[in-house]
Amino acid sequence: MLTKASYTLADGTPLSDLVRVPTREVQMRALSDPEIYQLEMDRVFGKTWLLLGHESEVPNSGDFVVRDMGSDSVIVARAKDGNIHVSLNVCPHRGMRISTVDAGNTQIHKCIYHGWAFKPSGEFIGAPVEKECMHGKMMPKEDLGLPQARVTLYGGIIFATWDLEGPSFEEFLGDAKWYFDTLFERSDKGLEVLGPPQRFIVRANWKAAGEQSAADGYHTLTLHRWLGEVGNYSKSGEGGSADLSPEMYGVEVSSPHGHALRCIDLGRKIRKLTGLDPAELTVDQKLEALPPPGMTHEMLPQLRKRLSEEQLEVMVSMPPQVGGIFPNVLFAFVYIPQADGSVLGLTLLHAYVPKGPDQLEFVNWVLAEKDAPQELKDKMLMQSIQLFGTSGMVEQDDSDTWPHMTLAAKGARGRRSTLKYQAVYETGAPAGWPGPGIVNEGFTKDDTQWHWWLYWNELMNAKA
Amino acid sequence: MSAAQQVAENAPVIGNPIPVGAEVYNRIVGFLYQEATLLDTIRLKEWGATLAPDLVYTVPLRQTRPMSQQAQSVIRTVQHYHDNYRSIMGRIMRLTETRSAWAEDPPSRTRRMVSNVQVFATDRPDEFAVVSYLLLTRSRFDFPDMDLISGERNDLLRVDGEGFKLVRREVILDQAVLGTPNLAIFL
Ligand code: FES
Ligand SMILES: [Fe+2]
Repeated sequence: MLTKASYTLADGTPLSDLVRVPTREVQMRALSDPEIYQLEMDRVFGKTWLLLGHESEVPNSGDFVVRDMGSDSVIVARAKDGNIHVSLNVCPHRGMRISTVDAGNTQIHKCIYHGWAFKPSGEFIGAPVEKECMHGKMMPKEDLGLPQARVTLYGGIIFATWDLEGPSFEEFLGDAKWYFDTLFERSDKGLEVLGPPQRFIVRANWKAAGEQSAADGYHTLTLHRWLGEVGNYSKSGEGGSADLSPEMYGVEVSSPHGHALRCIDLGRKIRKLTGLDPAELTVDQKLEALPPPGMTHEMLPQLRKRLSEEQLEVMVSMPPQVGGIFPNVLFAFVYIPQADGSVLGLTLLHAYVPKGPDQLEFVNWVLAEKDAPQELKDKMLMQSIQLFGTSGMVEQDDSDTWPHMTLAAKGARGRRSTLKYQAVYETGAPAGWPGPGIVNEGFTKDDTQWHWWLYWNELMNAKA
Repeated sequence: MSAAQQVAENAPVIGNPIPVGAEVYNRIVGFLYQEATLLDTIRLKEWGATLAPDLVYTVPLRQTRPMSQQAQSVIRTVQHYHDNYRSIMGRIMRLTETRSAWAEDPPSRTRRMVSNVQVFATDRPDEFAVVSYLLLTRSRFDFPDMDLISGERNDLLRVDGEGFKLVRREVILDQAVLGTPNLAIFL
């Protein structure tokens, strides 16, 4: 059970003052203060489930990738028994990194410093010169393995946590799981990565990206305004005056654990594709007209088998398209209009890995359904790269924005400014909405992001 | 067929090196310098006019791998750029015809240093394979940090009247984790 414990920052500010609940404000210093960052590494990144990759990155016994859990490097490896293990990438002998590469395959992870060796499961095999017993006699071999994180696979996505006793991943997702299942548990073979992730450094605090991932729909209107100005997105066809605000209406789901989903109305797209009023169409007709991102018509029976009628209803009318899993994951399951009038779905995951108070590593995985034809995967891959991640025409603008917030948070005055989440939903769920959770409809508001901060606040001020 | 396979099938056979200082070598170096000027002075539409309609433009990922696995250090599945003529022209349109391409507005101050140029004949008389080193400095806003992007460009140039058109560019970057927040600029 978590109980409140007061903690005072070095300048005398109580930690619990950073988030001002009555006025829905967050002190800007949270976006750059090194002391807050250090606390986060234990209280947030030491406690929550963290995205490390997808099992399709390590298909064979011995395959491994090196990833980060907060500020710690870990080895994500598939052991002989087929299970995926997440081991701290720190040699128990004298602290050298066990693996200094990004990926590979080995049954023996050997530290290059003095040669201690470990299995993909993290178990200690032994130290060189067996007869001299160079690991000593004070500790048994079982105690000299690499520390193990707790691992779970969800739709093949690898999550791990250092909180060995805490909530399960399902409990952590809570009500939001009902929606996430429509993305990650919708097909028989599941998703796969189309390659290793893109990685690049943004000189911004991880929370500048993290709070945005909690379904900041509003920024699309201005920061991504170009979508309405040129190209296939332009509503006017002329450029310059297109209004993206109709795209800002929908349903938003927030979670007491900071997860968020932005469900955007598919009605206009289905009307355009079919020429018919979506209200007159059945769930099946809508699925046929516009299958979920990355799925083909042939895969639709899998949806019927795996998801409930209520979940399908949401998928064909107000599907979750962007949002986040607390603390630092963004998902995008988006429908991109094409030049020929058709729609191409894209499926991506990002992690915003903290790299110090003023720096994050943007990790971008491009996904596709394993069952999808190669031609569709190729199309999804190219378009994902052109719109998202490193050179993506949409996300270029995000990664250029976050550093300014982090810099602003360093000013003697700026650090006392606040982030405001005062656009409050007054609507509640649409009539007959079949899904659980904290649900609101209408123009995108601040509630999902505010709930993200409330959970951050809860973790930061809790003591086990 | 994947884009990478397509490129491999359409690629000419690389032939003999053309000596430094040869007439065509000099013209190609001139083209690369002029290209760097167009990009550094943000004359993007003029740069677009130097691209061939069958352009393939890619920037693979890099991974840190052991000495024995260096081939696997270049990743051509997911890449940083994976473009063709149409999509590059789309990028130019966003940068030049909208008033909200914020990643480059205000624009970066860039400097493309192009060196170590090697030119090879191919089995097509009008196409040359060109290898060059690129060191790109990028400064944004009043930030004291200068982003550095370094790599090797593998180009295919096609003779076009007095000049050349860029048919293929693959940039092998040196960083596994890029130190710049995006590639809103062309390499
Ligand atoms: S530090 Fe790893 S074997 Fe000594
Ligand atoms: Fe964005």
